[in-house]
Amino acid sequence: MICEHCKQRNATVTVTQVQSGQKVEHHYCDVCASQFHPFHAEFKQEPVSIQQLLSNWFGSPSWQQQKADEKQQAQPQPQTCPHCGFTYKQFLKEGKFGCPICYDTFSEHLPKLFNRIQAGPQHIGKMPGARSNVYVIKKQIEDIRKRMKVAVDEEQFEVAAKLRDEAKELEKQLQFEGGDVS
Amino acid sequence: MIESFLERATPTWMGVEDDYSDIVISTRIRLARNLDGYRFPLAFTENEALQVEQAVTHAIKDSTKLQENYSYFAIKDLTPLQRQILVEKHLISPQLAKKELVGSILLSDDESTSIMVNEEDHLRIQCMTASFQLQKAYEQANKIDRILEKALPFAFRDTFGYLTSCPTNIGTGLRASVMMHLPALTLTGQMNQIINAMTRLGMTVRGIYGEGSENLGNVYQVSNQITLGKTEDDILADIQSVAEKIIQKERHARGKLMEKAELALEDRVYRALGTLTHARILTSEEAATCLSNVRLGVDLKLIEGIKAMTLNECVVSMQPGFLQNYAGDVLPPAERDRVRAEMLREALFRENVSKPIIGGKGEDSFDV
Repeated sequence: MICEHCKQRNATVTVTQVQSGQKVEHHYCDVCASQFHPFHAEFKQEPVSIQQLLSNWFGSPSWQQQKADEKQQAQPQPQTCPHCGFTYKQFLKEGKFGCPICYDTFSEHLPKLFNRIQAGPQHIGKMPGARSNVYVIKKQIEDIRKRMKVAVDEEQFEVAAKLRDEAKELEKQLQFEGGDVS
Repeated sequence: MIESFLERATPTWMGVEDDYSDIVISTRIRLARNLDGYRFPLAFTENEALQVEQAVTHAIKDSTKLQENYSYFAIKDLTPLQRQILVEKHLISPQLAKKELVGSILLSDDESTSIMVNEEDHLRIQCMTASFQLQKAYEQANKIDRILEKALPFAFRDTFGYLTSCPTNIGTGLRASVMMHLPALTLTGQMNQIINAMTRLGMTVRGIYGEGSENLGNVYQVSNQITLGKTEDDILADIQSVAEKIIQKERHARGKLMEKAELALEDRVYRALGTLTHARILTSEEAATCLSNVRLGVDLKLIEGIKAMTLNECVVSMQPGFLQNYAGDVLPPAERDRVRAEMLREALFRENVSKPIIGGKGEDSFDV
């Protein structure tokens, strides 16, 4: 048998493909086969980028897509950042935000995101000098308590427990800072 | 001006040698910062870019507290070759080198600190040290950050920390990388296992010659992935302990190789030295492999008379940008392989005390 592709060399490779339920057989020589072996195409795929990962994780799964679409129709204004005009959809596509205000605009989506790609949703590291004082920590605790209440109301007890631990950690820090100040 | 940063392959700070120098090449800390009130580089206008740049350069020029003197260069004013050399020296990122309109760099005189402006974020403060010195590099970066925050309105939220364009840098904005030479772990096939384990610990391992060229020259870069929900100290401590474990494993693997196959290893490293000192055509892949083997030979005291510093220089200067600078001309790839062989021959002959029996100093005259 002659190779289907180059029609010159002997066919030594049989490729069986299942296309829409139909079995199709192709006969190629080893030279042509190595060029378009179906596996080659698969392996040549580009490495998964952060953008793809983001949309895979946080774009709604297909079975929720319809629901999401309905929801969006119910809310006539999709969330848009007032400063740079970015939408959450755009963020999922780019994998990046447009400006610092985006973090305020989309803040409700973010803890879920950060729980997955980071160690947690709350920054516990360094702060700009002027901020690292007792007042800021108090405000942070207040903020966490508020979010804790929301979590409890929504019966997301795991989230609430995590927040409670964060608040405790901050209270410790507050005592430490307080001791330092006085 | 820019020339002074392009001549030397390795800056003077690379000359430090300590207990880790046989495995760790260098340590790098990067802090990502943005200014409140401006859009991130991916969405900003040219005008905004200019304002950010002016604010940053003024903050640096006006500061009396920064110890080093900084030189400013706009990327668009540099030739492609100059940009490439800065990338090869790790002074700027490949992304910054690609910028056509915006983007600039502030380089400290000793080349240990580079501040990239308008790359993916408004500011990227990068500090490098020789060998394994995470704390020292971080302290340096932290100091610059503390000085600049007095003059620049860094975007910060209590919940999310320092805001960055990409959510993979949010929080501390801190990326710590340790560059390691791991020939024995690669040779004994243990790297895949290590890379898998690292991923589970929230860290990554990559090659140094950019994505794709994964482990060219057996040099790997270990860095943290997680930037939010952990303190800077914890991030550094985790990288420190993981890197120490890898160093331990590499030393163990080297010991085992010496114990079980010293002659084969000696053969391997001398063959590599032979290739580097005699080959007439060297691709970057082959050169990187040979340099790695010679380095291993030097570290294991199988080869004497070659300094680790010389090999570090060779690793940097055998890259395409440096080679073309060395040749003083733009070279097509095939020519590069010839010039690379010539350059390495010259560098290692000069160094190698025990002269090869065949050939010798005079043979370069055949090339002319």
